[in-house]
Amino acid sequence: MKSLQRSVYDLLEGSVQNKASRYCEIFIASVVVLNVLAIILESVHELHEAYEYYFHIFDLASVVIFSAEYVLRVWSYGVKYLEDEGDSWRGRKEYIFSFYGFIDFFGTMPFYMQLLFPGLDLRFLRLFRLMRIFKLSRYNSALSDLAEAVKTERDSFTSAMFLLLISCLLCSSLIYIAEGHLQPEVFPSIPATMKWYLLTIISGWGNVEPLSLIGTVLVILTQVLGIALAAILTGVVATAYTTQVERRQVMYEMAIREVLADGVVTEEEQNHLHQLQHQFGMSDEQVEAIARQVREENEQQQNKVAARA
Amino acid sequence: MKRRLMQILDGSSPDIFSKIVEWMITVVVLTNCAAVVFDSVPEIHAEHKEFFHELEFWSVMFFTTEYILRSWCYGARYSKEEGGAWRGRKEYMFSFFGLVDFFATAPFYVHFIFPYLDLRVLRVLRLLRILKLSKYNTALQDLFHAVASEKKAFASALFLLVIATIVSASLMYFAEGHNQPDHFGSIPICIYWSIITITSGYGNVEDLSLAGEIIALITGFLGVCMAAIMTGIVASAFSNQMSRKKAAFGQQLREALADGIVTEEEEQVLERLKRQYRLSDDTVKSMMEEIRIEKEKAEANKAAG
Repeated sequence: MKSLQRSVYDLLEGSVQNKASRYCEIFIASVVVLNVLAIILESVHELHEAYEYYFHIFDLASVVIFSAEYVLRVWSYGVKYLEDEGDSWRGRKEYIFSFYGFIDFFGTMPFYMQLLFPGLDLRFLRLFRLMRIFKLSRYNSALSDLAEAVKTERDSFTSAMFLLLISCLLCSSLIYIAEGHLQPEVFPSIPATMKWYLLTIISGWGNVEPLSLIGTVLVILTQVLGIALAAILTGVVATAYTTQVERRQVMYEMAIREVLADGVVTEEEQNHLHQLQHQFGMSDEQVEAIARQVREENEQQQNKVAARA
Repeated sequence: MKRRLMQILDGSSPDIFSKIVEWMITVVVLTNCAAVVFDSVPEIHAEHKEFFHELEFWSVMFFTTEYILRSWCYGARYSKEEGGAWRGRKEYMFSFFGLVDFFATAPFYVHFIFPYLDLRVLRVLRLLRILKLSKYNTALQDLFHAVASEKKAFASALFLLVIATIVSASLMYFAEGHNQPDHFGSIPICIYWSIITITSGYGNVEDLSLAGEIIALITGFLGVCMAAIMTGIVASAFSNQMSRKKAAFGQQLREALADGIVTEEEEQVLERLKRQYRLSDDTVKSMMEEIRIEKEKAEANKAAG
């Protein structure tokens, strides 16, 4: 029983790179993609009319698949921690209350809700079904990478957001004062002016011609601020991304150093390195360069030791 | 003679002849592209019809000669034991540049045989000639290499873009689908709106409800963020690639300087690598200096030991 649980865990979690877990990944990912396509197509009225039955069958089948996946995950995550680290409910609780646990739950549950309370708003249920798209991020690190980047660079992000907020309050109040009485239909209140301000920041043109001189100056200022904001965000993301790449390189270098320390590379260590390389998305050349550098350093050290002896 | 011609056309040995050939081809290609562009203006076309025709004829002759010469002399690339003359020729013909050379010239002859073909298609194929220039400029190749080596990062960015588009489109559909069925009647229509909003910041639809207004602003802001993410990833992909190239060059340099003597052959190899990696003289000089200092230190250490 325990071993079955273990192998289901390995299969679903993908921590062991083998064919079976790869196929499992591909299968779930394709069901998710098909689901998203179905949701998109279902919203076209003519298609919905013509193929309602098939859409329903497909939704039923995918709910069965996702429910099975959820139940299996909850059950098998019990083996994540050993007996002495906390019992099997620790791993389960961790999964259920993780980001993916919520996504898996809320992506499937609305279907059963509909069964229990048939009168619910359909649009609301569809919105929940759309959450299934986030299941994909389990197999692509883009979202978690982005979250990590934002976390490491949160100071810069906060300052950018702070700048945006302050300038939004200030500029929209000023423009309301300058233009509000000239164009009451587009600047009737400060919140409405804020909407115009954000539009200008984002797209560069808020669709309103300023009438007064001060208004013109403020509009130009807003447009320049929009460019500045884009530049700040780009810089922050580029820095975050470069630091991430560098950090991964250092981590990989440390792993190699550890492996090469005793001079012997076992098969297990080789596998570990391969997995790291895959996880970090590094090219073979990069890995080769790092390995060579470490090896040279080791040799130099040994030479030094020999010379001293 | 075949070998010599190959060196000239290939540009593998930097000498004056291959430089001249390079320049000649570049000038003809640029003239051709300018001709295609101006030919599409009706007034100019009516006035200088003869001239354009003449120009097209002579450039096709020129490119055909180039193609035939290349196909012939690339046979010298591999010796008899390595696969004979046809291996090099086949390699050229089915390479990216071989295909470009072929498809940029062949339509003229097709037009000759079947005179009633659609002229616009032929004109577009003529524009392929501009790709011939990428033989002499590594920008396109650099771009492909950067994309290939950072494909994970690019895939991630695309993934984010797709998710942002689909989620914002669906949210907009749920918020506005009832009120404005002609603008937001189905999710595919909303996806169109969402792509426009993400790329340009404003989706050209008025009179939204409060929820729709907020979703539209967030989508526009997501567009700014997506541009930032793309730019950031591309910039750091390029700089990563540059540092990788430098590392590779440094390795070669180290090997060449290891015995303390730089032979003529090694110098040629380094020169070629420098051109290939597009490193400036200053960079190379500073790298050499660095290696020299390193070596001196190592020797001093040894002497002390």
